[in-house]
Amino acid sequence: MVEFLQFTLSGISFGMIYAAIALSLVLIWRGTRLLNFAQGGMAMFTTYIALEVIRHTGSYWAGFAVALAAGVVLGAVAELVVIRPTLGKPELNAVIITIGLLILLEGLAGILYGGQYRSFPAAFSVIGLKAGSTPLGVSRADVFVAVAVLAAALLLAIGFRYTSAGLRMRAAAFNATVARLSGIRVARVITVGWALAGLLGALAGVLVSPSTFLYPNSMDSIFVFGFTAAVIGGLDSPAGAVVGGLLLGVALSYAGGYLGSQGSDLTALVALGILVVVLMFRPNGIFSGARVRRV
Amino acid sequence: MSSATGAQGTQGDQSHGSASLEVEDLVAGYGEVVALDRVTITADAATITAVLGANGAGKTTLLRAISGMVRPRSGRVLLDGADRAGRGPEDMARAGIAHVPEGQGVIAELTVEENLRIGMMSWPGIAWRRAERAAALAEAYERFTVLADRRRRLAATLSGGERQMLVIARALVARPRVLLLDEPSLGLAPRVMTQVMDMVVRLSRENGITIVLVEQNARAALAIADRGVVLNLGRVVAAAEARALAADVALRHHYLGF
Repeated sequence: MVEFLQFTLSGISFGMIYAAIALSLVLIWRGTRLLNFAQGGMAMFTTYIALEVIRHTGSYWAGFAVALAAGVVLGAVAELVVIRPTLGKPELNAVIITIGLLILLEGLAGILYGGQYRSFPAAFSVIGLKAGSTPLGVSRADVFVAVAVLAAALLLAIGFRYTSAGLRMRAAAFNATVARLSGIRVARVITVGWALAGLLGALAGVLVSPSTFLYPNSMDSIFVFGFTAAVIGGLDSPAGAVVGGLLLGVALSYAGGYLGSQGSDLTALVALGILVVVLMFRPNGIFSGARVRRV
Repeated sequence: MSSATGAQGTQGDQSHGSASLEVEDLVAGYGEVVALDRVTITADAATITAVLGANGAGKTTLLRAISGMVRPRSGRVLLDGADRAGRGPEDMARAGIAHVPEGQGVIAELTVEENLRIGMMSWPGIAWRRAERAAALAEAYERFTVLADRRRRLAATLSGGERQMLVIARALVARPRVLLLDEPSLGLAPRVMTQVMDMVVRLSRENGITIVLVEQNARAALAIADRGVVLNLGRVVAAAEARALAADVALRHHYLGF
């Protein structure tokens, strides 16, 4: 029973990171119907920037803030410079370009920082918390991970739901033609979507790196799990991305915990299994059902 | 900056201004196909112009070229005498042209109220005009009481007639000077169609909006229009008073099928 609680809590903590990546993919998908394969690479790069800032200033929070800002800038610049010219052309062009961007960023990180694993500091203590004498399997740092992503997701949800800018983004995502005819500058909305996605990716990178170490490929597997979470939730649904992330995080944590020493090697297989099962019963993801697209 | 907002603010304060719309020698098409071949039409301020013709005559393309959805190859689109051809739809909307495309006007995933709020996105300095936004919504609900009852529902739950009302209401919230309507009666029951046509007449007479109406139902369109334009294979083959067109038996038989 104690084990179950521990696996669940640590699964939630990791799941929130998958959720952050999934959310960033959903933001871009809704605006441009495009999967950004460079999302993980961008997150890795902004985390290196954070590490530099922390080293020079000695302040974790300075690095944290700069990483998020860098994510916003990197997302917007990527959209304006390499994605904008591909809009309206075959979708494969943009997909190949995001893969190219990933290779570029990973190569650049290798040249600038080398390939070795670097440790990345956590915001809070990584010593396990206890309830009485029972270890909970999570630390203050893990709690911070969950709270930070949840706060970001809630802020986004509130922004989407209650502000004019959010309404513009939803209108542009659901029906770009009507949005443009109503005077909404859809191109600008798409850039903002990429910037927000960059911010979420940067957040995920900073939050996950204390447990994974930082190296040029360190976000690859996180990206794959985040992508899986986004597909499970239905690529169109921000709420689905969060639920998909949590589901995947907890399932992978159980697999790693209960299947013994082989468990951690099996996580990718378990993720694939969940994906296959979900898509068999809900081909468009868990949260797709209520939507009416064609009328 | 402040002077610009001030000038635009006064323009937005009027509920609806009028503007004439002139299209001169407009050429537009898709790839090799020329859909509009030197089309010229004139719509005086606060009048209704019916654009008629068979399928493929170029009616929808004409509206799309006016609203910027299709970039014209040549020709001019004059709004109150100022040429705006070649601008994108965002700019056209901000200049006061509202285009209601055929059958796809509502955003089904948004609520009725959110759809109406989309109509305000062309307002200059919208963020600072909270009271005006509330007033515009109240006005829309007063005119379209059906929508008031359903403001928190998803637009997907509306019937065909209610959707058409929502689309027209949204176009009005934008306070356009020119309203382009593409087949507003398509797929509606006859009684609902009559309501929509009545609404179109009131928009022109009471609000002074210049209306360009594309319709398959030529008889119904000519009954409410001031002028009519008949297109055939991308060219204007007749342009006259609506009454004169309706009385021209040979033309009716040849191009309009009634």
